[in-house]
Amino acid sequence: MTDVIVVGSGPGGVNAAAPLVAAGCRVLMLDYGNRDTRYADLVPRRPFAELRRTDPNQHRYFLGDAFEGVPVGPVRVGAQLTPPRMHILADAAARMPVDAPGFAVSMSLARGGLGAGWSAGVFPFSDDELRDTSLGLADLQRHYDAVAERIGVAGAHDDLEPFLPPSPSMMPPLEIDSNAEVVLERYRRRRAALNARGFFLGRPRVAACTRPCRGRGPYPYFDLDYWADVDRSIYRPQWTLEELERSPNFTYLDRRFVLRFAESADRISVHVVRADGGGEERHVGRAFVLAAGTLATARIVLRSLGCYDTPAPILCNAYTYVPTVNTGMLGRVPRDRRYSLGQLTAIVRLERPHEHLLQAQLFSYRSLLTFKLMKEVPLAARQSLRMLRVLLPCFAILGIHHEDRPAENKHCVLRRGEPDRLEITYRPSPDEERRQRRDERVLLRFFRRLGCLPLKAIRPGHGSSLHYAGTFPISPDDRPLTCDRDSRLRGTRAVYLADGSIFPWLPPKGLTFNIMANADRVGTLLAEKLR
Amino acid sequence: MPTSLDAAALEVEAQVFARYLVGRPAPPDLVERYRTAAQVVWGQADEPGDAALLEFVRRHPWSVGPLDAATALLAPGGPLRGRILLMAAILEATPAFADDFLPRAVSIPTLSLRIATAGIVAVCQALAGILLQPIARRRRS
Repeated sequence: MTDVIVVGSGPGGVNAAAPLVAAGCRVLMLDYGNRDTRYADLVPRRPFAELRRTDPNQHRYFLGDAFEGVPVGPVRVGAQLTPPRMHILADAAARMPVDAPGFAVSMSLARGGLGAGWSAGVFPFSDDELRDTSLGLADLQRHYDAVAERIGVAGAHDDLEPFLPPSPSMMPPLEIDSNAEVVLERYRRRRAALNARGFFLGRPRVAACTRPCRGRGPYPYFDLDYWADVDRSIYRPQWTLEELERSPNFTYLDRRFVLRFAESADRISVHVVRADGGGEERHVGRAFVLAAGTLATARIVLRSLGCYDTPAPILCNAYTYVPTVNTGMLGRVPRDRRYSLGQLTAIVRLERPHEHLLQAQLFSYRSLLTFKLMKEVPLAARQSLRMLRVLLPCFAILGIHHEDRPAENKHCVLRRGEPDRLEITYRPSPDEERRQRRDERVLLRFFRRLGCLPLKAIRPGHGSSLHYAGTFPISPDDRPLTCDRDSRLRGTRAVYLADGSIFPWLPPKGLTFNIMANADRVGTLLAEKLR
Repeated sequence: MPTSLDAAALEVEAQVFARYLVGRPAPPDLVERYRTAAQVVWGQADEPGDAALLEFVRRHPWSVGPLDAATALLAPGGPLRGRILLMAAILEATPAFADDFLPRAVSIPTLSLRIATAGIVAVCQALAGILLQPIARRRRS
């Protein structure tokens, strides 16, 4: 019999499976497993700027064979996905219908899950932040380290270290681009004054190999990260899945869609429908790890426990984009050698109404095509093209994350149907939204001092950070639909959650690395129990 | 009058939009790509007002700038704007036209001049386009 059945091949699934497989457990991973079979091999291994001038086939992967990369209509969640990444969201909305007015939902049935398009930001929670999760750094540090070693993390020991605990295996940081260099240099000149006021800036931690690691990397600086996984230097869960597939005690079954689980005295059976053909299957194991992604996991848990019409909390970091003009770049020629992802991380410590943090990442708009921005400029296309061409080297885009905590109007409910529908209500209070705007003004004041003049705050709407979490939180209280400290779902014997479901609140940081570390903890604990 | 998704009409549109965006004609393979893309993205014939607007642009290529400026303000989701952006996407994803879209670093005075000129032209075009739109949207009998 299988020891552990793991559902989902995303960041949680593969990092829960890895310690189990290493400990000799027999692991079965069930996954839908969509992949890109059309575009991946078309993107040449050449720098973005060069292939734009030379590759006659670029229209295929830039625009898509069915022109799916040409957005028509208003900006929607997933619009940032390029044709080679669009398989990540394929089939999910049809298989897992959600009613979520005013809340953007992105779910994945891809091999690697949403992690297949992860922006690779590594933001370990601090001891204080974990305490609110009923855990501490002592519980998670070794798992942060294990995951960092497994996925490869590049970063610097800089002013952000008090907020982002380091890992011993950290590789040298990625080279930041010209835009970020100018901002960082200005920060260094004003560091003491800015730090005294609670503002800290540094290089981002990125799940990338800056030196060869596990057959990946080193990072080639081709600026193609939105289009391709060149040299596999940016981490994707599929890389760990491939390593797992080489182990004799690991079995991967794709084209499976998990419906529910049922427990008996000593085993768990998992009911599955085949994606090809629709036939049903049953798989049996001693323990079950659910890592299907917060929203998919919520469906499976609520259905399996018969908790229809029962509200469960839901969280998602509020997210705001602010395009700015970096005055320090005016008249300068930017380097083409760069990477596409976040270039700098800023953290602001705010005191009111309680001490809390705000986190922002600085991006340059260099790695996508210009026509997508032309669409957003309310000028004639020819004029907007002329302006954007000269302004693009100076564009610094801030992506601001706010913390999120459970509240009365943030919940999801499963409604019975064929198929069941998940209803999401997410309405932050006016006070919370006011506080977020005030916090953003504080952050933008700091960036003005660094020469970045904000143009406009764009709030793409609730749910747009994709950091869905908090549905079955770890809690010290023995309540239904919560997890114990081991991430075991209360009311079950051996059902463990290893995705965003277990976080009772969200600090203003990327969630993915923390999901991975907790998944590694779940896998490690489970391996010890099953021994 | 041809329907908006008539192949010949789409070919004329492609050339009008290419000259408008980059100041030179599109080669036949890009015209064909535009035709295919427009049929994939829009599929059905346009609403009568939009069809008339597109036909006006095809007959009077000089009007594309003002009408584009007006629709950028008044109907950014409309087919005229959408098809200009589609042609922009097709040109941008072609090596021969890449340099027309790639960012350029310029001196601060040039940047200021470029932005001021583009801004003034955009405002004038938008005003002209707003006046022109009712005429352009009228169907020819």
